[in-house]
Amino acid sequence: MKLTLKKSLGAHDGSVWSLSVKKNEITGHPLLLASGSSDKQVKIYSLTSDNYDLYETLDSSVHRKTISSVSWRPNTLNEQLILASSSFDTTTSIWGKEPTDSDFELLALIEGHENEVKSCQWSHNGKYLATCSRDKSVWIWEADEYSEEFECVAVLQEHDQDIKNVAWHPEQLMLATSSYDDTVKIYIPYEDDWECVSSLEGHEGTVWCSAFEAGLNTDSTRLVTCSDDSTLKIWEMIHDGTDDNEGQIWEVQSQLPDYVHSRQIYSCAWNDKNGLITSTGADGKLVVYKEKGQRGSGEWDVVAELYDAHNEYEVNCVIWINENTLATAGDDGSINVWSLSD
Amino acid sequence: MSDFINENPNVLDEAQLPTRNQDNDNDHYDVFQFQQSQHDNNGLCSLMASKRLSYILQDAQNDNTSSSILEDIDSMSQLIHLQSDFKNQRQASMDLDISMEDETEERQKIDPQEIYDLIAHISDPEHPMSLGQLSIVKLEDIKISDETDSPETRMKDLVIQITPTITHCSLATLIGLGIRVRLDRALHPKYRPTIILKPGTHQSENQVNKQLNDKERVAAACENEQLLNVIRKMLSTCK
Repeated sequence: MKLTLKKSLGAHDGSVWSLSVKKNEITGHPLLLASGSSDKQVKIYSLTSDNYDLYETLDSSVHRKTISSVSWRPNTLNEQLILASSSFDTTTSIWGKEPTDSDFELLALIEGHENEVKSCQWSHNGKYLATCSRDKSVWIWEADEYSEEFECVAVLQEHDQDIKNVAWHPEQLMLATSSYDDTVKIYIPYEDDWECVSSLEGHEGTVWCSAFEAGLNTDSTRLVTCSDDSTLKIWEMIHDGTDDNEGQIWEVQSQLPDYVHSRQIYSCAWNDKNGLITSTGADGKLVVYKEKGQRGSGEWDVVAELYDAHNEYEVNCVIWINENTLATAGDDGSINVWSLSD
Repeated sequence: MSDFINENPNVLDEAQLPTRNQDNDNDHYDVFQFQQSQHDNNGLCSLMASKRLSYILQDAQNDNTSSSILEDIDSMSQLIHLQSDFKNQRQASMDLDISMEDETEERQKIDPQEIYDLIAHISDPEHPMSLGQLSIVKLEDIKISDETDSPETRMKDLVIQITPTITHCSLATLIGLGIRVRLDRALHPKYRPTIILKPGTHQSENQVNKQLNDKERVAAACENEQLLNVIRKMLSTCK
């Protein structure tokens, strides 16, 4: 397969750290792309045409420091658009726009973390927002339907070091957190609380990011993780722990091909339709992997790779826009849109 | 200010720090070629001569066994004369290099000496001396990846090992951060500095190394005004 640059958006005056795609709730078509940057701005681009026009720049006076992460709320009422953006200034802001509004408005500013918020993400059902920080804690917030009231329902302090990323399962209430302590922890709701049910240990460096495989009707739950140690691992839950209360057991099912990346891998994403995985990082490489044969075989091939995806700059984030389109965010301040073809 | 204990045996005088004259790499050739292409007919012959002679001089300086060339006093004075020409021309080509960069984003190869010159004059946060004087940074501990290592990418790895003055130096991270900020500001982004403590020189080596090379932590630190002021002060002595 082949990766071709479709469009480069000179979006920001600083490193772009995070991207998020808003899809149409009914058709699943991509609508909007949000980005967060060191320039303290959040920009939103339209995905409904190949022009990728700038849709809106959010009020940049709200955050005093780098925007580390952006996430669209799924499952909102009446075509309402809701975006969360977290910042190194310790806060997370919530923005909303009704179809009748002309601009996004600040709906809420969530405070609680002691220092930089590194990542935020909405759960698949739009009910919860998870945030994590250098203060070693993960907070789970329950949002009201207007995204104006946020109640903290759990503060999870399982990690020994700062937490780089939070990632929800795309179809169930399961959360994975990646950390500077080289581990990934898995949490599920338990009675009125949230419980850490597993710690995934195996990486030999900071784990930067993780992504669950989509699909509930399959017999396994899998997670891909990427790390400072230049490797990607695929973990499989081999015991769900619901019967014996012993917690979940996860094992490394496979390691994606070695020596593909030569430096830190900052970001990975699992396509929810075709099962392809993509990764990128400090070596500027953009890579796509495909599982050999049947789903679950655990053997992966590199099917596309590309050097210098953002010229000589590092790449901080990669996401799937749809089955054959990817977007990457780099230290050069740009967002690149890539098409993947046979 | 703590008492000054330097476990590095030598505190160097500014004048003792290694400079361009002493380095022995071959990158000059590129610089000269570059300049030639800019000024085709401008003093080409003397340029070639000075280049050749500067190599001889370097050989002489770096290899004691070939010192016979220096026995001839006449040739030595000639060499010194040409050496100063060489330096002037190099300076001119470096200036050109920088102006070219603005237009084309192309940049010539750099060598460890250039990296050293960028960071050796950073002030120590505790002592009224530079990192070069305290031998916290040393020319021989700066390595740049060879172009042939990774032909597919334009990125170049740069590894700088720093030697803290004492093994429990609480400011090792700050020193490393100062070096990183200096390089991030001065170098083309294709250079990827990895800053590590020289093995065995610090009791929290792994911890410090991990912090110094975590881009997110470095980015967050650089948004901390207090810390940034300290770094600004450290960098104010850079030339």
